[in-house]
Amino acid sequence: MTVTARWDADTAVEELYAAHYRRLVRLAILLVRDPETAEEVVQDSFVAMHGKWRTLKDPDSGLAYLRQTVVNRARSVLRHRGVHSRYVATHRAAPMPAEPGADERALADERRGRVLDAMRELPGRQREVLALRYYLDLSEAEIAETLGISRGAVKSHASRGVAALREQLRDRLGDRLEDL
Amino acid sequence: MDQTTPHEEWVRGLLEDAVSDVAPEHALDSIRARTSSAPARHGRRGWLWGAGTAVVATAATVAAVVTLTNGPGTPQADHGFASGAASSTARHSDSAQSGAASGSAPASGQSTATAGGSQPSQRTTKAGPVVSTVTVPVYFVGETPHGPKLYRDDQQVPSADAAMTAVHAALAGYSTDPDYTSPWPSTAQVDKVSADGSGITIALQSGGNSLADRPSGMSSDEATLAVQQLVYTAQDALSSKAPVSFTVDGQPASKLLGVDVSGGVDRAPDTSTEALVWVLSPAEGAKVHSPFNVSGLANAFEANVVWELKQNGQVVKQGHTMAHEAFLMSPYSFNVDAPPGDYTLVVHDSDASGQGNVTQDTKDITVLP
Repeated sequence: MTVTARWDADTAVEELYAAHYRRLVRLAILLVRDPETAEEVVQDSFVAMHGKWRTLKDPDSGLAYLRQTVVNRARSVLRHRGVHSRYVATHRAAPMPAEPGADERALADERRGRVLDAMRELPGRQREVLALRYYLDLSEAEIAETLGISRGAVKSHASRGVAALREQLRDRLGDRLEDL
Repeated sequence: MDQTTPHEEWVRGLLEDAVSDVAPEHALDSIRARTSSAPARHGRRGWLWGAGTAVVATAATVAAVVTLTNGPGTPQADHGFASGAASSTARHSDSAQSGAASGSAPASGQSTATAGGSQPSQRTTKAGPVVSTVTVPVYFVGETPHGPKLYRDDQQVPSADAAMTAVHAALAGYSTDPDYTSPWPSTAQVDKVSADGSGITIALQSGGNSLADRPSGMSSDEATLAVQQLVYTAQDALSSKAPVSFTVDGQPASKLLGVDVSGGVDRAPDTSTEALVWVLSPAEGAKVHSPFNVSGLANAFEANVVWELKQNGQVVKQGHTMAHEAFLMSPYSFNVDAPPGDYTLVVHDSDASGQGNVTQDTKDITVLP
């Protein structure tokens, strides 16, 4: 087992950015829906990590800190900026292309939009647990750690979240749910 | 890893797909512009992990590294140190002798082990310079039949910054045990912890939310406990019983989470504040050899402390012991002999009320072959 050579804060930002920025932005989109807000949240998290580097010291703690900060900031952004209502409003208004012959790409976009909308409708904890569990592939223990909840709570949020996401998508897609 | 159901696989596919078309704009320059003034560098050093799908492998590495260097415990974001309450074995059975220093014995077999208690110690890693660390109690909130109470989590922190790092961990809820949490709003940050002749001062940053009022959904008991969490943690890290004053965003605070903090806050009495049973060693996630020693503090009816070792929800071993004294937090210690495997250790007081009101502390541990 090796440990990387010590990085200074600038190097840490560079390296972690190169390896993880895109995936963290995608994670943040699953949490807040709005891509611009997501990028902001992740950039803020990198800045915060830079400031904390003196206590983090190694890439593993750096990444764990980034993940946790992204989740926390996403949560507080949703609490304070009303990102939710803005997005749900525009997307509810968008018509669903119903024809089977519709352009495949448009359909894919539509499907993605519906999934993100459905995620946004879930209770916060369920949304966070689903994103960490099924998008980042973190273990129950890691999620418990990241969110500061028990492993049992992670398990129950995950199973309720999966059921609730299906419900949400059933409402949005009806019979076409099974095509997903 | 846990098994997955078809529905879980379906969610995995949906989420991956839902963001698969997201290609964020280059942002490194704007991040750099906001961090220190050091000039940008372009050299790329060897990267240990692949990008993207290597997240799982990375996580495994985190755990392994932490285990090797700091003893058992899961990695914690944002503090770069691991639990100091490393697995204690029978060889450390005296660790409950001193309340404040108990539970911090390092795992055996580590060439770079850290001494327990509050004595500064040196920790070396292959990669870096010697880091001087100290084990300090960090307090968190856990649920008990008597409402939310404080639990103690011994953590190893850099000694240069012990009080600040400990208060930060308490505030942000970086406990080693997932049953322990912080009720503080996630935006709150600690700026500085200082002590002088007139007492201890904790400087907080609100992060945009007012910290003066009690958030909706937080009970007044929880708010009081949240303040005490920081008082206990700061006082212990500084080995002081002086009252704790707070500032928020540079201004002296008179109210925090709806709690009056004007003129400084004294440590609330143990009996109304602390959970009645704490397990200090082994730590959550510890890997131990059998027989292993369990130690902690309990304030138990007739000093009677009861324990169970559970596997898959079934009690496989049980026993009881006496704390040194009844009706005040006092040390207990016992040894457990168990075959290799994963267990949940449950330690609780006895049910004096007959109502099933036991206060417990649980630790998931692994007994190594």
